[in-house]
Amino acid sequence: MLKIENLQVKAGEKQILKGLNLEVKAGEVHAIMGPNGSGKSTLVQVLAGREGYEVTGGSATYDGKDLLALAPEERAREGVFLAFQYPVEIPGVNNVYLLKAGLNAIRKHRGESEVDAFEFLTLVREKMKLMQMDESFLNRGVNEGFSGGEKKRNEILQMAVLEPKLALLDETDSGLDIDALRVVANGVNSLRRADRAILMVTHYQRLLDYIEPDRVHVLSGGQILKSGDKSLALELEKRGYDWIKQEAAAA
Amino acid sequence: MSAVPARSTGNAAERYRAVFDARSRSENTLTQLRRDALQRFVTKGFPTQRDEDWKYTNLRRLESRNFVPAEPTLGRVDESQWIADAGMRIVLLNGRAHTVLSTMSPQPPGVTVLTLGQWLENAPDEVAALLAQQASDASAFESMNLAFCDDGVVIEIGESVRVDRPIYVVHQWTGGAASVMSNPRVFVRAAANSQCTLIEHYVGAADSETLTNSVVTLDIGSGARVKHYRVQQESPRSFHIGSIAAHQARDSRYDCQDIALGASLARTSIVATLQGPGAEANLHGLFLPGGSQHIDTCTLVDHVAPHTRSNEEYRGIADARGRGVYRGKVIVRKDAQKIDSRQSSRNLLLSPTAEIDTRPELEIYANDLKCSHGATTGQLDATSLFYLRSRGLSEAQARALLIRAFAESILSTIELPSLRAHVEQQLNARFAASELSA
Repeated sequence: MLKIENLQVKAGEKQILKGLNLEVKAGEVHAIMGPNGSGKSTLVQVLAGREGYEVTGGSATYDGKDLLALAPEERAREGVFLAFQYPVEIPGVNNVYLLKAGLNAIRKHRGESEVDAFEFLTLVREKMKLMQMDESFLNRGVNEGFSGGEKKRNEILQMAVLEPKLALLDETDSGLDIDALRVVANGVNSLRRADRAILMVTHYQRLLDYIEPDRVHVLSGGQILKSGDKSLALELEKRGYDWIKQEAAAA
Repeated sequence: MSAVPARSTGNAAERYRAVFDARSRSENTLTQLRRDALQRFVTKGFPTQRDEDWKYTNLRRLESRNFVPAEPTLGRVDESQWIADAGMRIVLLNGRAHTVLSTMSPQPPGVTVLTLGQWLENAPDEVAALLAQQASDASAFESMNLAFCDDGVVIEIGESVRVDRPIYVVHQWTGGAASVMSNPRVFVRAAANSQCTLIEHYVGAADSETLTNSVVTLDIGSGARVKHYRVQQESPRSFHIGSIAAHQARDSRYDCQDIALGASLARTSIVATLQGPGAEANLHGLFLPGGSQHIDTCTLVDHVAPHTRSNEEYRGIADARGRGVYRGKVIVRKDAQKIDSRQSSRNLLLSPTAEIDTRPELEIYANDLKCSHGATTGQLDATSLFYLRSRGLSEAQARALLIRAFAESILSTIELPSLRAHVEQQLNARFAASELSA
């Protein structure tokens, strides 16, 4: 579903990604871990189309398309979703309005008709229940005055409503207490399907107790240094990242 | 051409003597007042940028035109912009009350709404006395208005009378004639403990070069509340000068919602004088200079009495080569202790060639008070834009939503649904947000 080859990305003068390779197949969940400043967030932001980065080499192919050539909204309409590490507060733009506008943009792109108002509300209510969110959130401004945990839940709510094919989760677990983490993980797990893929960036093994990955990658210095199954995450938790860096340097 | 005036502006105002003299008017109570007003206007001349109040607004283009008073016209009237479900409606067509288009009766008990012409017939001395009083410290444009005023509206609300439905004054232009002006005058006299809502709607006619120079005075009695909506939608080639003065007695409240959308050059000046303790003025405004429009707003809140409150919130959105100006001055007089004054000016620039100048100003002579003011000018937030686009919204749709959101704090103060819908529609049309209806 997603194939990244030799991806090189600069932010300003700084080279952040230095030839990154990664393949995520439909139905898989991949976790990317790594020390601070290794380029984890840059990777998912570049995949979602955030401006301010310069791709200096390599490619990212999504469903056979050149992902990096698409505008952010085209990526979203093709089924890419980024759950933000720091969801933006947009007072004056209604939460439910954004959900509906997003869903309709995606449906229109697929040649489907606009969502029926009743159907939409039923869908949203069901997903809100899943995310244990109060319905009063719907008519508030997007993330306006939400706590950190509420913002993260709102990200996953949006994801659950928009039903992406490729979900990118940028440190969705950060700032969550254990109960909120469970709810968020539950929301993510509900989306796992044979035709979907999830790529999540995280600092902590803890998230992986709740969302079990098929593959774990270590990103350091702008490259994937090591990949393995979920046991790699446990090993990282115990041993840190230095041994991987040394291993890579020796090779 | 013997004596060359020192100031070119004096010259421009001087030309209006001939315009004044060319009008054949029968002598009446107002004749002398008008002559005096003309003299004051000519002596003062059009304001220049050396005048602090006009620092950011150049009137050269206005001065170069020769505006003549609009004649009564039977031209086609475009009612499409009018707000449907207001209460009483008074239509001033090219500055003159049009009784057929107006719906001035029945008038609720305690409410008197007259055209200025009717009022002059009923009470000439009262009108003359009031105008003479208002003339004493009049600005150049206010003097010009009095010299050339053809008609207007008088709204009187009796003591403790509450008028539920808004009183709707439409200043409508009909197209056709070149370089014509109207100088309408609106009087609101709200007696003690009364309540009313006034909507003033300035609607231009496409393609005509007009000058509207309106004067609105509000006399708000003790405990009275007046809500004043002002929607300026003059045509793209027109000039609009609006002077508003509210005099507020004890415990009165004046709310002004000032929406400036149109005209090539527009300038609104609002003066709220808080004369009685407990008086409160709330001034909200939204101005949207686009194209090569220049929209200037100048407010002055004068805290004369102690325990008075003012709250100003202005938002400007400038696009293309649009230029906006907001100048908000607050004066706190020596004996005006325990006052509370807030002022906020936030501005959004949508293009690199757009400009907004904002200048809050405080002049404080008292020492026990709460005053705050803040001004910001910026662009659409890149992160918010990306966030919306990452949810599938097009860039145009995302921009329109954020612009809408920026204006929301002013839009939300419009309590009348039909008026709010009208302003929103104008906003959406301006920012080409056809997809907003998604």
